[in-house]
Amino acid sequence: MVLAKVTDFLTISPSTILLTLCNALILFLVLKLILFKRVNKVMEDRRNDIAESYRKADEAQQNADRMQAEYNEKIGAAKEESAELVRAASKKAQLRSDEIIADAKAEAKGIIDNAYSEIEREKKIAVNSIKDEITEIALSAASAVAAKEITAEDNEKLIESFIDGVGEM
Amino acid sequence: MDSIGQGPKVVFTIPIFGGIEVTETIVIGWGIIVAVLLLSLWLTSDLKKIPEKKRQIVAEMFVDFVNNTVKNTMGPAFMSFAPYIAMLLVYAVLGALVSLIGLRPMTADFNTTLTWALMTFVLITYFKIKTNGFGGYLKSFAAPIPVMLPLNLLSEVATPLSMAFRMFGNVSGGMVITTLLYGALGSLSRLLHVSFSLGVFDINLAQMFIPAMLSIYFDLFSGCIQAYIFATLTMVYVSSAAEES
Repeated sequence: MVLAKVTDFLTISPSTILLTLCNALILFLVLKLILFKRVNKVMEDRRNDIAESYRKADEAQQNADRMQAEYNEKIGAAKEESAELVRAASKKAQLRSDEIIADAKAEAKGIIDNAYSEIEREKKIAVNSIKDEITEIALSAASAVAAKEITAEDNEKLIESFIDGVGEM
Repeated sequence: MDSIGQGPKVVFTIPIFGGIEVTETIVIGWGIIVAVLLLSLWLTSDLKKIPEKKRQIVAEMFVDFVNNTVKNTMGPAFMSFAPYIAMLLVYAVLGALVSLIGLRPMTADFNTTLTWALMTFVLITYFKIKTNGFGGYLKSFAAPIPVMLPLNLLSEVATPLSMAFRMFGNVSGGMVITTLLYGALGSLSRLLHVSFSLGVFDINLAQMFIPAMLSIYFDLFSGCIQAYIFATLTMVYVSSAAEES
């Protein structure tokens, strides 16, 4: 270095200019083809990505709005329908319960009437059979009186035994 | 350190065409190209749509900065200029900052700034001819009245020359001042007997710290500002050349 030739402070040397031009071109190409090309590409990709996702988000928003309106409409219709169903069902149930109650009342009345007539019939049977018994007993008592001399004492006994006999029946 | 008033050293000579002298400027330029190439490859390796690494963010910030600057200054039609402007910025900033590691600033060589200014001049002329046609381009020198012809020619030539000299003057001026200050502080150290010799190195205590302050202005600030000015002027000249006159 010490022995190296030193140029003047302000000189114009065509070879240096030419070589500097080459250097500048090489550096330009390095920056353009490596740094700018790659970085611009990735930034462009990102811009496109963001634009795309914005577009998708808008689309999804519109879809959601449309679907919500649709659902609201459907839900309103369904509510109306269900209210109608409930109304119809409760009306039907009311009718049915009235019918059942009426039926039950009629049936109960029938049963009671039957029971009354049964009781009446049984009573009649019982009275009839009692009457028959009494007649029979009276007849046997009369025959017994007729067959035997009766004292007062005997009479009393007779009556007692008759009553006993009746009691045993 | 260079002594004052020296140009760049000749590092080696290519023995063709009667010997092409390759100066420090060119070799430093190669170093910058290699560094930028490796840095670009490293920064842009493994790019993701959703950035995962800090280096991708750094790369995107730089590219975005240049893209936005070009878009705001030149308009969206000139987006293909972004890598060219980035080249001027990177080359000029790194070319000035190499002085921080003791190398000769690349932009303190008039050949470098002249080359860039000529590239810009070619672009300006190309866009003027493209927009107005060759006839229109020639006619524009006689506008608004033919008497203006010499002045117009002069201003046309002055554009690249002023760009080249502005950058060269700023950076080499800073270099000269820093070198002068180093010399003065070395003498001061010897006067105050705070100068030691450590083997082949001379250690002058007064040379420590004080030059760093000036270096912040002349190397960092001035280097970056001049690079930005050069890039901005290129954008403004080229985009105004592309406007219909």
